[in-house]
Amino acid sequence: MRPAITAKNGASLIADRAEKVVETTSGNLLECTTVRSVYIVGRKDDFRPGEKRAPRGTRAQDADGLEPAAGKAGQRYHPIFPYAGSLAMVAAAFAVGFALRHLIGISDIALVFLTAVLASAVSYGLWPSLFASLASVLAYDFFFLPPIYSLLIADPENVVTLITFVIVAVIVSNLAARVRAQALAARQHARTTEDLYLFARALAGIADLDELLRATARQIALMLDRRALLLLPQDDWIVLRAAYPQDDCLDEAELAAAQWAWLSDRPAGRGTDAVFGVRRLFLPLHTGRGPVGVVGLDSNDPAGTEPLLTADQHRLLQALADQAALAIERHRLAQDVEEGRVAAANEQLRAALLASISHDLRTPLAGILGSATSLKNFRRMFDDATQDELIATIQEEAERLNRFIANLLDMTRLEARAVRPHVEIVDLGDLVGSALDRARKVLARHHVSVECDKDLPMLQLDPVLFEQVLFNLLDNAAKYAPVGTQIRLSAGRQGDVVRLLITDGGSGIPPEDLKRVFDKFHRVHAADRRRVGTGLGLAICKGFVEAMDGTITAGNRDEGQGAVFTIAFPVPATQTPLPEAAA
Amino acid sequence: MTPTAALPKVLIVDDEPAIRRFLRTSLTAQGYLVAEADTGSETLEHLRRSPADVPVLDLGLPDIDGLDIIERLRTEGARMPIVVLSIRADEVGKVRALDLGADDYITKPFGIDELLARIRAALRHRLQPEDEPPLFRCGDLMVDLGRRIVKLRGVELKLTPLEYDLLRVLVAHAGKVLTHRFILHEVWGGDGEIQYLRIYIRSLRQKIEPHPEQPCCIMTEQGVGYRMRAPD
Repeated sequence: MRPAITAKNGASLIADRAEKVVETTSGNLLECTTVRSVYIVGRKDDFRPGEKRAPRGTRAQDADGLEPAAGKAGQRYHPIFPYAGSLAMVAAAFAVGFALRHLIGISDIALVFLTAVLASAVSYGLWPSLFASLASVLAYDFFFLPPIYSLLIADPENVVTLITFVIVAVIVSNLAARVRAQALAARQHARTTEDLYLFARALAGIADLDELLRATARQIALMLDRRALLLLPQDDWIVLRAAYPQDDCLDEAELAAAQWAWLSDRPAGRGTDAVFGVRRLFLPLHTGRGPVGVVGLDSNDPAGTEPLLTADQHRLLQALADQAALAIERHRLAQDVEEGRVAAANEQLRAALLASISHDLRTPLAGILGSATSLKNFRRMFDDATQDELIATIQEEAERLNRFIANLLDMTRLEARAVRPHVEIVDLGDLVGSALDRARKVLARHHVSVECDKDLPMLQLDPVLFEQVLFNLLDNAAKYAPVGTQIRLSAGRQGDVVRLLITDGGSGIPPEDLKRVFDKFHRVHAADRRRVGTGLGLAICKGFVEAMDGTITAGNRDEGQGAVFTIAFPVPATQTPLPEAAA
Repeated sequence: MTPTAALPKVLIVDDEPAIRRFLRTSLTAQGYLVAEADTGSETLEHLRRSPADVPVLDLGLPDIDGLDIIERLRTEGARMPIVVLSIRADEVGKVRALDLGADDYITKPFGIDELLARIRAALRHRLQPEDEPPLFRCGDLMVDLGRRIVKLRGVELKLTPLEYDLLRVLVAHAGKVLTHRFILHEVWGGDGEIQYLRIYIRSLRQKIEPHPEQPCCIMTEQGVGYRMRAPD
């Protein structure tokens, strides 16, 4: 055909190019997949009208923000559409040719039709472009080759032109269609890659393991258009953790297959050598550190006889599985780190607890035991005052021990979340009174003043817990404020909140300790003081107050020295009406 | 209360020998006769034999729950005073023991003077229930239940009928803890609510206490009830 096409007319130009393509591809047309051609046609492809490529934003409206890959992009038109389009292109070519028929030669009009064929091939693929070729040949022959309005051809040269046209059109259709297919594949590939990237990025942002597994199962299912399951090991057994669709579950045989895949680190089930009589395929997920779980796949067809995955899908699955495995392992590592951190904190706390217990239990015991043995051995040598002093020591130290043990018990209840506030409508003044009564001995060497507004509203509190909070705060004030100073309790309503302030005349709380005074076993260090706290009282206050939905804060006085502890509780919405006027 | 000769025998019920020893020596020194028991069945047996004895009862016994012992004694019609030894942070148990018929409680650990006060108060009400002293004095407060007169530092106070009823119930059981339920039943006939009680206690305190926030007559036992201080 080569000499025939090198004719003098316009078709020769096209034939020339076609020849070059044919030469480069003569070995094997199927292998004509040069990157350059994909690139060039791909750009053109991007501008192609007609195909709906939804913007990213509208596709990513899923709950977890993960965007499934579009399975078959741009193939959702009615089958007749490409042919109609091709026909329209040929019609357009006809119109152009008809308009220019007096300006250009008859062979050049073939070139116009060839353009339509090329456009059809690029837009719609092989068969529509062959259809366009046929339509072009007929139109060219009928309307342009003399005698016009007839399919007959008078001039033999025109016969050659027409045959050349047919050959070139078919070759162009073939090549352009192939290039188009490659462009589509490349774009699909690019989109898959982008989806994988987005998937990996989304996984990195998920902290909760279950959510991570759900998102992964969903992504695998949507990208492969299959049903997906994720299984993770738990106590030596592989357990179903996530599925898409969510109600999928496994039977015994499938679990056995999954377990086998997990233990042997090899695929099991459908399409493998370890079938187990199940229709699902199970693939182990692993990272460089070893296996982390199993992914299960099933097709949507009821019979389950078709091959589960194409080679491409298999590669995609591998990529997804790698991402999922990395995400799961990352989660594991984060968990390990967190557990380590908690363990270290617990260790520190345990050390503090032991130090506190050994000190705070032994110190009063030493006083009691020492005084008791002194009295036992040397009672007759002591005068009455000395005996009274030793007896008072025994009593005071025993009471101190009792308070410490009570605090330990309260702390244990808080730690075990065993504190259930028994909330009642209470009178704050009543609580202040009973707390002061209980703390009378502790406060014996301080001046206490109480200033409560007369018309304080009733509050919703647990009276027992709240009395303990007040007692601990008074005890704390008595420990840190020098003997003889004033401890002030004041309460008042401010809007919807009642505030109770306990102010002492000590040296106040060092700024660096303000945030930590409520921490367990944190004691404000005071080198010149003999009696320091146990590091429990304020932690209990905070725990109890918060259990009753109140707040407690620590600060220092604005004027003068001393610490201020402020407890705030909301005023209940409704105050109890009285059955009889109280006044 | 007449001394020594009229003192009843106290039955010390506790499974801890150290507690029994300390109670035995102290109570004996105060002139009480003392018996001991370390199980619930022994206690019931002893009290059926000697129904006049006063048990000081630990609630945590190895064989029978202390609450069951109180219930059984009261359903059998026993009228002796019962003082319960309770542990801290068990307000529900304390209230339950009082509602079942215990006269008072004391929380371990305790000082002997507190226990003696509880026993005295319980004995006073059990042994002379109908013969209330006509005049009650506590600090600056004077209450004459016979003539319905209340005076603070010699000045007569005006109380509302409900306030007076509340004060009367508290004074009639002075020295003894009264549960919210008991007071509500005595004053409101059982259909009152606990917040009414708190509001009336507050208004009563504002009238009879020199410093209502630091009361010296009507003491609050948080989570349990109120106690009028024993008369001077």
